[in-house]
Amino acid sequence: MNGHGDVGDAVRVGGLVKRFGDRTVLDAIDLSVPHGQVIGLLGLNGSGKSTLIKCLLGLLRPDEGSATVLGTDAWHLADREKARIGYVPQEATLYPWLTVRQTVAYVSSFYPTWDSAWGEELLRRWDLPRGHRVGPLSVGQKQKLALVLALGHRPELLILDEPVASLDPVARRWFLETVLETAADGKGTVLFSTHITSDLERVASHVALLRAGRVAFHEEIDVLKDRFKRLRISAPADLPADLGLPGTLRSQVQGGEALVTIDGAGAALVAGLRDRYAADVAIDSLNLEEIFLELHDGEAAAAAPGR
Amino acid sequence: MSRPDPIFVVHPSSGVPIYRQLVDQVDALVAGGRLRPGDLLPSVRQVAAVLGVNPMTVSKAWSRLEADGVLARDRGRGMVVAPPAGREGGALTERKAQVRPLVDQAVVRGLQLGLTPAQMLALVKSSLEEKTP
Repeated sequence: MNGHGDVGDAVRVGGLVKRFGDRTVLDAIDLSVPHGQVIGLLGLNGSGKSTLIKCLLGLLRPDEGSATVLGTDAWHLADREKARIGYVPQEATLYPWLTVRQTVAYVSSFYPTWDSAWGEELLRRWDLPRGHRVGPLSVGQKQKLALVLALGHRPELLILDEPVASLDPVARRWFLETVLETAADGKGTVLFSTHITSDLERVASHVALLRAGRVAFHEEIDVLKDRFKRLRISAPADLPADLGLPGTLRSQVQGGEALVTIDGAGAALVAGLRDRYAADVAIDSLNLEEIFLELHDGEAAAAAPGR
Repeated sequence: MSRPDPIFVVHPSSGVPIYRQLVDQVDALVAGGRLRPGDLLPSVRQVAAVLGVNPMTVSKAWSRLEADGVLARDRGRGMVVAPPAGREGGALTERKAQVRPLVDQAVVRGLQLGLTPAQMLALVKSSLEEKTP
């Protein structure tokens, strides 16, 4: 399946627990990412995305469970494995006194597989001024430079932590195209955290949602969009306050009108509603952002008493 | 000889999966005769690059269309539009499945308004007569 000698997954996390003091940030995470997959890690701020990424890179040691990256325990990654990984942190650590050219020369010296032509190509593509010092560059330019540094050695696994937060829409599009190029031959694996769901929908095939330190779901985006539907129900008579539909995430009933978000609304369920209440049922598809919001809103509504 | 490649447009943030948007567009091009049997489709890589989407998504769309009998794999060339004969079975089921919910909705509304089955069938019949040559 892959040409790199690793059997199985690029990333495999099992029962991973990470605590800071008495605060449990990651609570038994299980996640497997096969070679060649582009996966988005989605979650609210503080849901543990960055902590998980740091555990994958061997920057944090899990309290329990395991994190295996490219077949090696993440905490014991040797230089050889690290040279096969590319990482773009939330905020790039760069030396402000070096020029762009010097920065690339410095970083590339750590990587035996550095592809100079490719590095040059990326600098050109992103219009990064080679002779300029890094310090005065804009946040977006620094982010682009960090990406050049992460891609120049043609990593098999690219890990990005909120990489596009500081990029404008045009730069984001460029950035995503480059990420896709990495994955295009089906060998490069990309894991990136974000809360810009539209970027995820474009490039990722799978999404994992972190919520309260756990993986709430890990699913193909297409499957998610098929699973979650919003039903607009309109009946001639008043509907019961609780429609008792299985898989309900959120339900709002007002007289004969209802708005219900459902995980797994099948044709039978819809036909049942039509028969029982002589209702008109319209089915709305939800995009990733709406699904994300429904999941979190539904939870907030369920937690609030008297709703 | 070769006509320009079809132009595809996708909306990643639609609730409709991207692969299905592509499937629908190819279906429409074939149904409308803009793509004819034997026409070559652009490669997965080309479409993915132009649209800025994951190649796996495009590949999934092409595979789905192949399973539906709309496209066929032509070794060495790529995906071509299948001859009409291969399109009957799968596509018909698919097309029926698409129309069914609309029919259901019309029937429910008809029953709500107190129409008899015979009256509804007559409506369908007259609509068909108006719209078919």
